[in-house]
Amino acid sequence: MKILRLIHTCFFIGCVLVGNFSVVAQTLSITGEVKTPLTLSINDLKAMPQTQVKAKDRDGKEHEYGGVRLVDLFQKAGVTLGGELRGENLTKYVIARAADGYEVLFSLAEIDEEFSGRTILLAHTVDGQALPQGIGPFRLVVPDERRPARWIREIKTIEIRFAK
Amino acid sequence: MKILRVIVSLLVFLGGLAALKAPHVAHLRPYSLVYPSSFGSRFTIPENNPLTEEGVALGRMLFYEPLLSKTNTVSCSSCHQQSLAFSDNRRLSIGVSGKPTRRNSMSLANLLWVKNLFWDGRVSGLEAQAAFPLTHPHEMGQSLEISAKKLSKTRLYPPLFKEVFGGATITGDQITQALSQFERTLISANSPYDRYLEGKYQLSATEKRGLELFMRGPAPERGVRGANCAHCHGGVKLFQEVFHNNGLDSIAVQDKGRQEITGEASDNGRFRVPTLRNIALTAPYMHDGRFATLEEVLDHYNERMFHPSNLSHELRTATNVEGGKTLGLTSAEKKDIIAFLHLLTDSTFITNPAFANPHPKNKPIR
Ligand code: HEC
Ligand code: HEC
Repeated sequence: MKILRLIHTCFFIGCVLVGNFSVVAQTLSITGEVKTPLTLSINDLKAMPQTQVKAKDRDGKEHEYGGVRLVDLFQKAGVTLGGELRGENLTKYVIARAADGYEVLFSLAEIDEEFSGRTILLAHTVDGQALPQGIGPFRLVVPDERRPARWIREIKTIEIRFAK
Repeated sequence: MKILRVIVSLLVFLGGLAALKAPHVAHLRPYSLVYPSSFGSRFTIPENNPLTEEGVALGRMLFYEPLLSKTNTVSCSSCHQQSLAFSDNRRLSIGVSGKPTRRNSMSLANLLWVKNLFWDGRVSGLEAQAAFPLTHPHEMGQSLEISAKKLSKTRLYPPLFKEVFGGATITGDQITQALSQFERTLISANSPYDRYLEGKYQLSATEKRGLELFMRGPAPERGVRGANCAHCHGGVKLFQEVFHNNGLDSIAVQDKGRQEITGEASDNGRFRVPTLRNIALTAPYMHDGRFATLEEVLDHYNERMFHPSNLSHELRTATNVEGGKTLGLTSAEKKDIIAFLHLLTDSTFITNPAFANPHPKNKPIR
């Protein structure tokens, strides 16, 4: 308890200091049940293989989204996918969190393309343009879902957890 | 919607756990939280502070205890009055220093479900939160150690703390723990709106129009009118725990809100979405109390909003007029929404004797 509180306080003070002296660039982090936690900037993301998907947004119109497949990011972080996605690893889930605190959940199996046959994209462009403020820099796009409620905007963190 | 009463058997379990660790609380009676099943159980109660009848009762006494302030004149209830859904009616509150607080006092209802407390969400957990008002020079202005010492010198408190926490001396942590136990019981779930959801209240025509506008996003191309309030203030508890910039300023300078915590420019002027439960009782409104009435709030969302670059996407894009730049509600529609907001007043919450000042009216015996 005490140690936790201490870490908490340090974190708080750290944030305040950072807040006063510099502007933190917007990043995406992948944490939790991973081999290598990642914190990625837009440039890190652009350096990875890019994928395009077409999907209908809330406006009912089809758009072309560009970015990195979520599975590729998970591979980079060392998340149990493919052959490793069995046994207790099937009780893992993923919490995606936006800058405003909005959270949505996926099961890990949903995100694995081998398993579910679907591509979930971590998008940074729409119709060739960077995602606008309030939506980007990063957004999830789940093309085959009829309601875009899990297309989480301004996504900041992705955490992989075990259901306990 | 049918409301089932859920009794948290978990508490009994937690109570049992804590009893294993701390034998002194074994004789205490677990407190059963009662709330509609639709509220859900997405909350955590610290393992080392399970709710007990005795702990809640002590917390209630402390909530109304001016000895916890430097001047012996201010208690939590000075700025959190039951008749006002545990808020106050000032733009900024006044504590021991006579100087105004930085922000508007917040209503304390359904905090059991809130993870990140204060307007900027800077503290998690009620135990940690309580230390702020107790020690802040403009609120109660007294260290936890001095508070514990002052309580130890009374006749009233030492036996009560001993019963709840065991141990020979009162500590600061015990004070914040007991306060938190009481705060977790402040559940408001019996407004006309709740009864409407249970099928026990009939909406008037204006309330019904207001509810529909509140809940729906506008889509002028399909002839749908709406105000989209529920996007942020929706759900049975009437808040989503998210942080947004709702266009109060073109840039937040005095109080940067969430930016002060995260250091990110995109968080400038973002604040936690507060609950709209009992909103008709908690004027003035917003983190700095700038709006005196709900009419002013509606005027803000409808036609006065600033458009900073990080204005919430939903607020930026919501309009009832094709190609419009503002929400574009009529004045009758604004009145309908206000009629709906009045349905959120829970009169049983503000009169519940279990939440009232437990100290005798004439000088308490200390
Ligand atoms: C002098 C007035 C004052 C006193 C006394 C006071 N408060 Fe507050 N309270 C406030 C203000 C102002 C805020 C909002 C502050 C902020 O967001 O920075 C607040 C916020 C809170 C919140 C956060 C609610 C939420 O939804 O996040 C809690 C909980 C709370 N107070 C509990 C208490 C308790 C317990 C006490 C007594 C130990 C107390 N307050 C004493 C003025 C006061
Ligand atoms: C994008 C999210 C969002 C939407 C949509 C929204 N609000 Fe808010 N609302 C907020 C935030 C954030 C605050 C707190 C802002 C502050 O104090 O800086 C707030 C504050 C309020 C308050 C003051 C609460 C208090 O305790 O002082 C009222 C009343 C309110 N909103 C009503 C409405 C109504 C009515 C609508 C629909 C017309 C609406 N809101 C739409 C985010 C939103």
